Amino acid sequence: MKKISSRQIYFFLACVAPVGKILFLPALLAKDAKNDLLFPILAQILVQTLAVFLVLLLSKRGMSFYELLENTFGRIAAKILIAIYGLFLLFAALLPLLEQKLFVQSVFYDTLPSLIAFAPFFIFSAYVCAKPLSSFGRTWDLLAPLAIVGFVGIMLLSAGSADYSALAPAGAAGGSGFLRSTADATSWFFDAALLLTFMGKYEYKKGMAWKGALSYLAGGAAILFFYATFYGIFAEIAPNQLFAFTQTSKYFSGITVLGRIDYVFIFALALVMAFYTVLPLQGGIDCAMEAFGTHKYLRTILSVLINAGFVALVVTLDYQFNDVVQVIAKTLFWIFPIFFLLVPALSFLLGRKRHETA
Amino acid sequence: MKLRKFIKTIPLKLYFLLTIVILYAFFSNDFGLVDIQKTAIILAAAIDKAESGFSLTTQIAVPKGSDRTTGGTSSVEIDAEGETVSDCLSLIYAKTGWVPKLVFCNLILIGEEAAKEDVMHSLNFFLRNEYMPDSCLMAVCEGKAGDMLSSQSAIDDASSLAINKLFSDAAVKSGKVMPNTLREFAISYFGVSESGYLPFVRASSQESNQSAQQTAGSGSGGAKSGSQEEEKIYSAEETAIFRGGKMVGLLPREQTFAFSLLKGNVFAGTFNVKEGDEAVTLTVLKNDGGVSLECKPVPKAKFSLDLLVRLCCRGSSGAIDGVTVDTVPEESLQSAQTIVTGYVNDLWNTCREKGCDLFQLKRSLYRSSLKKYAEWKDNFLSSTQVQIKAVVKTKK
Amino acid sequence: MKNVTGDLKKDTETLKKLLPAEDILTFEFVSDRGLKFTVVFADPITDKELLGEQVVRALSHFDGKPTAAEVGKHITSPEMKTEKSFEKLAAEVLAGNPVLLWEGMDEAVIAGTKKVFTRAISEPSTDVAVKGPREGFIEDVKTNTSLIRRRLKTGELKIEMLEVGRRSKTFIAVCYLEGTAVKKTVEDIKKKIREIDIDVVPDSSYITHFLASRPYSLVKQIGTTEKPDIFCAKLAEGRVGLIVDGSPIALTAPYMLVEDFQSSEDYFVPPYRATFTRLLRLFALIVAIYLPAFYVAGQLFKLQLFPVKLLLTIAGSIRDIPFSPSLEMLLVLLVLEVLNEASIRMPKYVGMALSVVGALVLGETAVSAGFVSTPAIIIIAFSGIGLYAVPNLIEQTSVLRLAMLLIAGSVGTYGIILLTAFTLLYLVTTENFGTPLFSPFSPLVGRDLRDSLFKYNLGSLPTRPKTLKSPNKRRLG
Repeated sequence: MKKISSRQIYFFLACVAPVGKILFLPALLAKDAKNDLLFPILAQILVQTLAVFLVLLLSKRGMSFYELLENTFGRIAAKILIAIYGLFLLFAALLPLLEQKLFVQSVFYDTLPSLIAFAPFFIFSAYVCAKPLSSFGRTWDLLAPLAIVGFVGIMLLSAGSADYSALAPAGAAGGSGFLRSTADATSWFFDAALLLTFMGKYEYKKGMAWKGALSYLAGGAAILFFYATFYGIFAEIAPNQLFAFTQTSKYFSGITVLGRIDYVFIFALALVMAFYTVLPLQGGIDCAMEAFGTHKYLRTILSVLINAGFVALVVTLDYQFNDVVQVIAKTLFWIFPIFFLLVPALSFLLGRKRHETA
Repeated sequence: MKLRKFIKTIPLKLYFLLTIVILYAFFSNDFGLVDIQKTAIILAAAIDKAESGFSLTTQIAVPKGSDRTTGGTSSVEIDAEGETVSDCLSLIYAKTGWVPKLVFCNLILIGEEAAKEDVMHSLNFFLRNEYMPDSCLMAVCEGKAGDMLSSQSAIDDASSLAINKLFSDAAVKSGKVMPNTLREFAISYFGVSESGYLPFVRASSQESNQSAQQTAGSGSGGAKSGSQEEEKIYSAEETAIFRGGKMVGLLPREQTFAFSLLKGNVFAGTFNVKEGDEAVTLTVLKNDGGVSLECKPVPKAKFSLDLLVRLCCRGSSGAIDGVTVDTVPEESLQSAQTIVTGYVNDLWNTCREKGCDLFQLKRSLYRSSLKKYAEWKDNFLSSTQVQIKAVVKTKK
Repeated sequence: MKNVTGDLKKDTETLKKLLPAEDILTFEFVSDRGLKFTVVFADPITDKELLGEQVVRALSHFDGKPTAAEVGKHITSPEMKTEKSFEKLAAEVLAGNPVLLWEGMDEAVIAGTKKVFTRAISEPSTDVAVKGPREGFIEDVKTNTSLIRRRLKTGELKIEMLEVGRRSKTFIAVCYLEGTAVKKTVEDIKKKIREIDIDVVPDSSYITHFLASRPYSLVKQIGTTEKPDIFCAKLAEGRVGLIVDGSPIALTAPYMLVEDFQSSEDYFVPPYRATFTRLLRLFALIVAIYLPAFYVAGQLFKLQLFPVKLLLTIAGSIRDIPFSPSLEMLLVLLVLEVLNEASIRMPKYVGMALSVVGALVLGETAVSAGFVSTPAIIIIAFSGIGLYAVPNLIEQTSVLRLAMLLIAGSVGTYGIILLTAFTLLYLVTTENFGTPLFSPFSPLVGRDLRDSLFKYNLGSLPTRPKTLKSPNKRRLG
């Protein structure tokens, strides 16, 4: 089996993972936290960095996540737990998927297209999910420079229009605003949970935990810079700007002459985002594979079934995005830390080293 | 065995099916698609007050055919009345059969009457519409916006393009106009200052060459035939100021110039001073301007201007005196300083009188200290003191 | 199978039975001392002048013992061997080498006097270099191997001849530098070639199908070149080369996509120029693939892709066109492909007339008749030119362009993004002989980037590409 290299893990953490946080979340946070939106993001980044550090440290034991659970809780419990974990990842995938659907409908089409415009995404998703996670390390090698080019391009076009003083005064949203918005943001930060499913698919290298955490922090710094620029440009009307990274660059003066050249960068980030959005689904299927065996066609069948299920879900929830945000991000947000922080922490504390077998 | 073979060929069958679906979609183009040929490309929108709510006039670009030999943009103006802006757009759709698309709308004109009520009631639609670029320019205009948009421009094919030219970078650098975009206006509206500004556009008549020729040819006394439309020239040297989304006053051209200077926009803009009885025009070469707020013990707005000027021309025809032609005498500099200070003072008085926090001083207070803001927010403008410091220099 | 018996009449008959074709001739002669000889040869492919000079004349005064060794000493052909099996003898005759039988000897002598039909070595039309060597491979494997041997004067250069094709018996020369090429790759390639079970191999492209890890893939998986200088450079990097008899196109493996963005000329011009050219090729290719697709998607789904003035120009020019933008573009693309295909196959003088018809009559008239719009023709023309910036990938990229156009016309801009994602995913997961196709970008090999789309100075490339895992790492110093 191919292994993901440590470099590819760093690329994922620093370049691919941040892209999922700059679409809908900035507007949501601008609503609750207003000009203090950097604080909840900073809090999330720090917590997630800690979780990433823990997961990478866990991978030092040279076991996959399932083996770790098996070693700690026994075979049956491990199967149940990993199935639950898979369900969690599928649950976590819903919000980014709906977010992606709205983004596609709004940014790639001038008039609201029929739902079918987003349907091809699930063909792509089914194709990706039918392949094991481990074969995707290489895509991160490509996606990382693409994400950097896209992000830097957008920031270059945007930064000049931003009035960073709009971020003052600090603390205007108060403690409750901070807590509420931090809770809201939780549903977008579960990268450590994804990383947990990669375990065993990469080899731990010396200092990987630190380097991984630093990579995540570097990506986090880029997110913070983006949020600052976003609020600097839109200030009080920021809550209206639903697809943040597609909005900030259009005020660049050259655009009136050249047309929307910023679309080059937006499309680059959209490409990265398409891969990132599929990851929780793929992780979920990986967990299911661990739980239900490794029949040759099981992965393909699961991939098709789960994606078909999500098509149905997306059709059903077509106009209910706000309700989904209400349920997942504002009500059930507490589920996320259980999986991305508590599970690795417990595994770290309770788990034993691999039983050497003769 | 058969089942295994069937399973093995599933991917191939799926690819085949997928290709058929794609080809079907490609050749039918039938997914509620609104392509370029079914689209009304709206270049500008004008909003007026109407009995039922709003009157929306849209200027729609009409593509010229493939046989066109000259450039330019043809356009047609369609209007509709409705309770909301969205309502008006639907009516325009019904009237034309074209789907109105706002993605290229680069100008929103607001009629004078409509501007006296909260303009956000109508602008909200544009602000919330994800297909509307909020980088679009905005202006208030004399009389009805629809009439202005439908008027014939003397300098461009479409009135909106002619008005857009008023807000070009070069015009901004002249200091004669203060353009604003939907985004900036909305930010100032929703901000703590609740104040904003928009350029005020006026149209003046210009007899077209064609009609002039016809008039001369017929030998009649200058009356135009009914079908001939007057061509208009537009200007935007005044600035409408807003509070709570309502237009509360108009800054004359001098105050607009002062506002530009304080924003530091001006480069190569000109203004006149008196040198004795003689009018002298000065060109601004460098413009450092700014407004700051001090809160101890009471809020104090500090206006500072530092201008580097050059003599542009004199009113009387003097002899050309070689290299000294652009030196500005001390007398003129003093005069310029006094004039500029006067402009700024008038500007501040107008704003205070109208309750418009044009310089977003309240926002500055909010951003610098929440405590002070809470203390002063209710009677901020009336209690703010002002200090104006203008320095006009010339190149030695 | 039967062997030669020593009964000249019977042996000749047996061989003739095996080779009943009318152009297989026999020629009998007797030496001064009365020993009877029979030569069996294939008339069209045997050099009869050489046969007369090196075999018949040499043996006409033969007075030694009638053994194969003695006869062999008298034959003056440098290529000579003995054989007993009729089956092998028949194969030699068919290869153009005459078989010499004589009375009383149960062994035959084969003389290497085949007639070699070769065209002159010329510059390949698909790989023209303004600066640098101009030699190109021809159809003869021996000439081609000589071109390589001339450039790599080292004993490490191994040229192993394998035979493929039940009927064609085509020679394939497997070339590699021992100690530089990865042993496992060499063995894998040889194994795959030996396993090929096909009757005829008309061209090297047949072999690529058997060597590819994904035979049905749209993506090329084996490198091709017509130039010996490039071939040798690739061998020197640690690759294995294959020359197929009858084909001027040599194959190299493992293949990386980036190879086709490199030209031999890049190594003869300053590095900054080479880098610029390579990036330009990539840009041209991207534009060629995506421009028609985005043009269509822009008109159908996302007007904002155009600046407003351009949009109005386009809208004006397509106003009276009877087709939808997608159909119009497909039509123009198909016309271009037809013109392209026809002009390649047609005789040159007709081809010139055809391009006039294509460019002037079809293009100009179609626009003025209102069938297609001018922007569509411009877009396709630009795309058509861009595709030729990387000539080795034309087959693949033209299909990709069509796919992009179809997806743009059906799903729109997002379709293009998703198809790009698919393509990237496919490319990064493809590998052949253990070498990823998309290397050195994915997996990222920092050191190899120095000679990828970028080109560093030769002094900065002291080692062979890391991706190829050559056991002999250094090439400089």
